[in-house]
Amino acid sequence: MTTAGEPAIDVAHLTKRYGNLLAVDDVSFTVRMGELFAFVGPNGAGKTTTVEIIDTIRPPTSGTVRLLGMDVTKRKRDILPRIGVLPQGFTSFDRITVTETIQYYARLFSRPKTDVEGLIDLVNLEDKSAELFQNLSGGLKQRLGIAVALVNDPEVVFLDEPTTGLDPRARREVWDVLVGLKKRGKTIVLTTHYMEEAELLADTVAIISKGRIIAMGPPEELIRANAKYLVLTLKSADERAIETVRTMGFEPVQDDHGNITVKVDHPSDVRRILNALTDAEASFLTLDVRKPSLDAVFLELTGGVRQRAAETGPE
Amino acid sequence: MSPGVIGANLVVSFKSFYREKSAVFFTIAFPIILILVFGTIFMNQDNVSFDLHVQDLDQTTSSAQLLRTLELDGRFKIAAVDPAANATQYARDNKLNLLLVIPLGYQKALVQRLGLVGGVPSAAFRNSSASVTVTYIYDASSSSLSPKMQMLQSALGAVNQGMSGEPPFIRTADTPILARKFRFIEFFVPGIIAMSVMTSSLSGAVNVNAELRQKGVIRKLATTPITHGDWVLSNILYQIILAVLSATAILLVSYAVFKVGLRIDGWLPTFIVLEVFAFAGIGMILTRVAKEAESAMAAANAIMYPMMFLSGSFFPLEMMPGFLQKIARILPLYYGNEGLRAAMVLADGVTALRCSAVIGVFAAVVFVVGIMTTKWEEGK
Repeated sequence: MTTAGEPAIDVAHLTKRYGNLLAVDDVSFTVRMGELFAFVGPNGAGKTTTVEIIDTIRPPTSGTVRLLGMDVTKRKRDILPRIGVLPQGFTSFDRITVTETIQYYARLFSRPKTDVEGLIDLVNLEDKSAELFQNLSGGLKQRLGIAVALVNDPEVVFLDEPTTGLDPRARREVWDVLVGLKKRGKTIVLTTHYMEEAELLADTVAIISKGRIIAMGPPEELIRANAKYLVLTLKSADERAIETVRTMGFEPVQDDHGNITVKVDHPSDVRRILNALTDAEASFLTLDVRKPSLDAVFLELTGGVRQRAAETGPE
Repeated sequence: MSPGVIGANLVVSFKSFYREKSAVFFTIAFPIILILVFGTIFMNQDNVSFDLHVQDLDQTTSSAQLLRTLELDGRFKIAAVDPAANATQYARDNKLNLLLVIPLGYQKALVQRLGLVGGVPSAAFRNSSASVTVTYIYDASSSSLSPKMQMLQSALGAVNQGMSGEPPFIRTADTPILARKFRFIEFFVPGIIAMSVMTSSLSGAVNVNAELRQKGVIRKLATTPITHGDWVLSNILYQIILAVLSATAILLVSYAVFKVGLRIDGWLPTFIVLEVFAFAGIGMILTRVAKEAESAMAAANAIMYPMMFLSGSFFPLEMMPGFLQKIARILPLYYGNEGLRAAMVLADGVTALRCSAVIGVFAAVVFVVGIMTTKWEEGK
């Protein structure tokens, strides 16, 4: 058992090499018990490889990984009963129903008393309990996968891209499940390439790019540290508005719909711009000031739009 | 080894099996259909009867007598052709491979030959040069012509010999090699059992190792306490149970419909188990060579179908040319077929032992190689 205060996961100088490819490059971090830790990053960044080394599927090339106080390369048999894993793109036996699938995995963990009904309720699959796996939609399969990852009442749950490929509504349903798990005190390791998801759910976010963690911390801290500006948006602004902002020394960016976004360093800049626009009798529909999102932080750190565009499809 | 885990896998395997109609068809129904079809075709192989079309131009009591003689031993079923018809045209139109024409004057020639006076043979009136020529109109391209013609020749020969009044000089005596007379179906059933065990275990192994791996089910299993050993053992047990079910169904139908006389003893389960290991091993190796599930299945079919025909599952090896017989002897299914026939039909324990040793060594080698090449965890 882990002693009080000991981290759930302790990774030190983890490296994974496939031939000449360095998939994970000297990564170190810790995950506290009860924490929701999210890896974010583009496809091929090394998120899945890192998680699969921690959850014992892959061996590391070098470095140490301790999970619940145990070395993952030496104590796989002791670790597996205490963790739950949703692999990327979870699939199961096609002609087995939702209930039977959960029962099957419960038996693999020698947990005949698993509350199958309770797990089905938790992931909101009550109406689909007698449905065959092959007839489930992508979102329902992912939710079943989460239920399966919980059959052994694990202390640490690994969820590898649980919402990739899901429509916005299905994604929100999965988020609800994750929030519920967090409330139950589970330690959760999540990988995602949706920044919004990490920002909303995670206690700690690690941004990973080309095998290295390039930033790590609570989402709001990452934003504060890496994006020290506000974003002012003027909708349907006219030429005079653009000109006015530009002559003040800002760099307005105009999109195809006539909307302007301006990065400003201080809230007082917003008032100055507003006053100048009023004086110039410039026209615009609405005005909106926001803190930048984790998305913006990610773009700042990983070198912008070009890399973001490469982010399509699962890893 | 964990019995609970193995039990869970068996439950999932059997539920997946009976919910997949095509799997049930190929494992249970297909071999039974083969048994019924081939069994019916060859049921009366020893007393085959041919349809024989005859145009009797003589239309006399003597010509009618000849036809009755031909019908007598059950070899021919006579169908009369209208004497007014053009015989060649008739044969062509009706796609007959043989039509026998009895000429006008048959009775007249017979009377002269036997010297019949008022129905009583008289040596003084006998004309030994009197004869009659019957005509065969035939289609030489027909494959069933030859046995039919031979049978007709021998029937007419017997009529000629009978008319001579002399006893035959050469007689024949039959001594069958087998103690009991066996029917074709009794040789066929063990071949079908061996074949169905092969198809279910080879395609089952490909399914488990390629399809489940490709879909990612194996990756999920690797994060649970199930061991590779328990997984392989579960699948082998499932294949063995399935093979026993299939063999039982085949045997029940064979007994019920054809009343076959086959020995069921320890050899039957022995061969089933050895075959399951052998073909599951081949399946595992195939899925290592062909990584995609579909190409692995295609490779499995490319192995199974030629093997079915080449190793004597459906017909005796003696019917095949020498080089094909040599090929058969390197195929594992050949030893399954021969061993099961030796055990179930001929009660030949020595041959069964020899065949089981060959297939046993083969099974051990491919199964161990199969296990070694099948990775459970992801790449290093």
